[in-house]
Amino acid sequence: MRPEAETIPALLSLRGDVEGDARAVVTANDSVTYAELNRVSTGVASRLVADGVVKGDRVALLAPNGVEWAIIAYAVLRIGAVLVPLSTLLRPPELLAQITSASVSTLLIIPEFRNRQYDKDLEHAVPGLASAMRSRRRHPSAPSLRRLWPIDALPLRSAPEAMVHALEARVRPADDLTVLFTSGSRGAPKGVIHTHGAALRAVAAGLEARCVGRDERLYIPMPLFWTGGLAGGLLTALVAGATLLTEAEPEPSGTLELLQREHVTLFRGWPDQARRLAAHPAFAEADLSSLRDGSLGALLPPERRPAPEARPNLFGMTETFGPYCGDRLDTDLPAAKFGSCGRPFADIDVRIVEPETGTELPAGRQGEIWLRGPNLLRGICGRVRSSVFTADGSYRTGDLGRLDEDGYLWYIGRMDDMVKVKGATVYPSEVEAALLSLDAVRQAYVTDIAAAVGPREVGALVVSNASVEAIHGAVRDRLSAFKVPTRWLVTDESEVVPLLASGKVDKTALQCLLQDEGRPPRS
Amino acid sequence: MTSPVIEAGDDLPLTVPALLAARVALRPDQVFLAVDDTTLTYAEADRCSAELARALLVDGASAGTRIALLHPNGPEFVTAWLAVSRLGAVSVPLSTFSTSTELVELLRGADVAVLLAASGYRSQDYVASLKAGIADLDMTAPPPLFSERVPSLRRVRFDLEGSDHSLHAGWTVSGLLALASAIGGDVVGAAESAVTPADRMVVVHTSGSSSQPKGVIHTHGALIRHLDNLNQLRRYRPGEILFSNSPFFWIGGLAYALLGTLVAGATLVCSNAASAAGVLAVLERRRPTMVNGFAASVAHVSQDPTFSSRDLSSIRRGNLYPIMPADVRPADPELRHAMLGMTEAGSVCLASDDESEQPESRRGSFGRPVPGFEASVRHTDDGGECGSGEVGELWFRSPFLMEGYDGREHHEVFDRFGWFRTGDLVTVDDDGFFYFRGRANDMIKTAGANVSPSEVEAAILEVSGLVAHVVGVEDHHRGQLVAALVCAPADAVVDLDDLGVRLRQRLSTYKVPRRIVVVPEDEVPMMSSGKLDLRALKKLLSTDDGTR
Repeated sequence: MRPEAETIPALLSLRGDVEGDARAVVTANDSVTYAELNRVSTGVASRLVADGVVKGDRVALLAPNGVEWAIIAYAVLRIGAVLVPLSTLLRPPELLAQITSASVSTLLIIPEFRNRQYDKDLEHAVPGLASAMRSRRRHPSAPSLRRLWPIDALPLRSAPEAMVHALEARVRPADDLTVLFTSGSRGAPKGVIHTHGAALRAVAAGLEARCVGRDERLYIPMPLFWTGGLAGGLLTALVAGATLLTEAEPEPSGTLELLQREHVTLFRGWPDQARRLAAHPAFAEADLSSLRDGSLGALLPPERRPAPEARPNLFGMTETFGPYCGDRLDTDLPAAKFGSCGRPFADIDVRIVEPETGTELPAGRQGEIWLRGPNLLRGICGRVRSSVFTADGSYRTGDLGRLDEDGYLWYIGRMDDMVKVKGATVYPSEVEAALLSLDAVRQAYVTDIAAAVGPREVGALVVSNASVEAIHGAVRDRLSAFKVPTRWLVTDESEVVPLLASGKVDKTALQCLLQDEGRPPRS
Repeated sequence: MTSPVIEAGDDLPLTVPALLAARVALRPDQVFLAVDDTTLTYAEADRCSAELARALLVDGASAGTRIALLHPNGPEFVTAWLAVSRLGAVSVPLSTFSTSTELVELLRGADVAVLLAASGYRSQDYVASLKAGIADLDMTAPPPLFSERVPSLRRVRFDLEGSDHSLHAGWTVSGLLALASAIGGDVVGAAESAVTPADRMVVVHTSGSSSQPKGVIHTHGALIRHLDNLNQLRRYRPGEILFSNSPFFWIGGLAYALLGTLVAGATLVCSNAASAAGVLAVLERRRPTMVNGFAASVAHVSQDPTFSSRDLSSIRRGNLYPIMPADVRPADPELRHAMLGMTEAGSVCLASDDESEQPESRRGSFGRPVPGFEASVRHTDDGGECGSGEVGELWFRSPFLMEGYDGREHHEVFDRFGWFRTGDLVTVDDDGFFYFRGRANDMIKTAGANVSPSEVEAAILEVSGLVAHVVGVEDHHRGQLVAALVCAPADAVVDLDDLGVRLRQRLSTYKVPRRIVVVPEDEVPMMSSGKLDLRALKKLLSTDDGTR
């Protein structure tokens, strides 16, 4: 399936004109129709234009999920500026690194959310930044940054609406749509660049497998600042002409209320969120009869729940703007394909390659997954194209997998040291670097470890004479919460570190050591 | 050593700001650019561009901002290009030949946000051009500009030195430079260190087969590495003085002359003198060791009556054969390897480091693919590989090719295996040498410039309402001439002089047909299939003596 238009402004005005009364985004206490979204985002765009934002400008948005996020994002995108969604989990040094890496010229932030004061945090990390922006000066810490606005107090002056439409007419499928940050293999998150055409086609290619049609009421709690929320939620709704139900802070009773009130048709939250909802006392009374197959099984009546692994693991990454492989989520796979990712979508060339030689491997053999096609990332901030793609145009995913004789993809794991902890990607080297930046820390070794119960954890062995609590407290200010180790072993004897003959750390021994002797910090 | 990869881990700085800093540190007082009577040393280039970069930052530019440059070859162009590059902003050089319509079309098509321009050049008045092209443009009131015609354009800065225009300070270069002191130089330093080899450096426009010029995007790292490779092929090193009259707004001048000089740490000499005597004076005074460009650009120089008495003995190498001393001038230029360049390849892509006379069997050779370029000759119909001696289309694959065409998706420009189709027809001999055999599409190459027939046809229709067929016909001096067959409706009289005047207002001079033939509609050569008979058309336009 192809999108009806391959730029955001074209698609937005189409939805506004044709499905104007349909609701675009709904939260617990707010909602917006496509006609309103079209109109209000045009108004915000005319204010951004008056303030000096031009096509190609990188505009960062730091806010939680909500109607306002959608309005601002579409205001940015419809004039051909590039949306740089920033995670609300970022700590100030991480925030600054992403602003610099993506050459952000305009930063739009929510001043306060979940006990975080982003404006004050930023001012603390970069003294003088806010006042420099207010007086239209620059700051050497973020030389591209020209303006910083709280999202509830954008400048009021407007450019004529005709200017917004003139800019919209200039947006082409080849123009950049977004820079999305994802953890990079060397630790520092990388800014993945997608164009309007590639991103919208990638979304459209996945709609059938994801069973998202027009008039769907799709619940997605994933943050809009990551691929799952932006591609899988907001832009999925736009491309399909569907309604996105989302929340800034999902919490079981509120979520159940939203799902019932809005007659949700598809629930695509986190699996453990679905289980928690099902275990909630209010669940028994909740009427979720509007839910269709293809929703997470835990919320469906027992007779409609699929068997384990019966449904495909839709598989993708930020570089592919969501899944590039899968089959219909409302239909069981053939029994022999249980546990597979299904089959690659149209317009993507998936090959299994011997990573050292670049030789394509035959069906059934395990190797690195290489991708080629018109819906992939345009590039990565700060990396030359020839270091991102091979000479013959392939993107090396770093994922291990195999394709069987019937063309089903089976995912095996990551090739590098990236670890997945509770669904988020953590790079041990990034956590190690943060620990080593603390004065008290002499050595630091980070790995993932299996927990006694529940998901995997991040564990750290630290050589230092400080306490676990002191180090934990200090590193929390430097890392997003999900990257902060939860299992610690701090020692002042460097002999404790298990080393291989090569002098490198013995990862298996390290995992055993942390499993046996590591502990959570005392609160 | 040349390198087939951009990031080779050697000490070549891969961004313009890093490259400039390295050159300034080594030889601050050496002349970087000499144009007629003016010179710019490396230290001056550094100082002036830092000042302009600061002012541009204050005026609202950031990394990625599209900044158009409209200046003839000279220190103003170089300073502006360096300043823009130091910010990580993207230069969009505009042809000084551009008419008002072309200028506005380029500013619109490239989504330019800032224009830095001379007030005029030769017969052109750019202030008037811009006013004519953008309705309600009021340059007596402060900017920013909000125009639906050029919706991204916010700021225009004219260099008014020597002009009698009077504009609000918000529209002048001097007004811009006055802003510089509002921030510290440390911000420029921070902006410079944020520039990466992957960042876009420049969008250079070229004509293709469609009527709209194409913007070709080049990045810092790829273009710098490519020029370093080319410099090693042509042995362009510190101490050399290169004369080139290729305009900086096209790839030959920007990359092969200007960036190549910065990479080499050498000296570039140009002349904007209108007279041959003026150019000769520059050559005698600046004593270039190498000369490069399109031979037609200096043909008139060698025709000057004083030519034989001039001392051009400093010239030892290059391809401007008409002005080279007899002892280094080839007896038969066709027996030297020529070079093939194209905007998409960041200038030269076929060449040889062998400057000696070649055997007769290699007459007309263009050498081999330059380092880092993988070339393939393909059948134009099915894309299959051609054998030795078979005419086919030249395809390239290289990390040094353009990033892409502005506004076109990667997969529209490169095939899925990364190949770019050049549109040039070539053959390869058994030794791997390439021979140019013409164009696979109808683009005209005239005196170093590309002209799109459909653009000229559209202009003729626009200014006269007449249908025309435009082709390139072979020409000894210019390679090809732009020629037009205009179809006159029955009983209509076409005023050729009036058509010429109107076309020159609409099109850059080099695109205006040098030869126009008017025929009645029913005498246009057609094939039995009903298609235009191109061969008969070219023959008709070649033999006609109606050269304008």
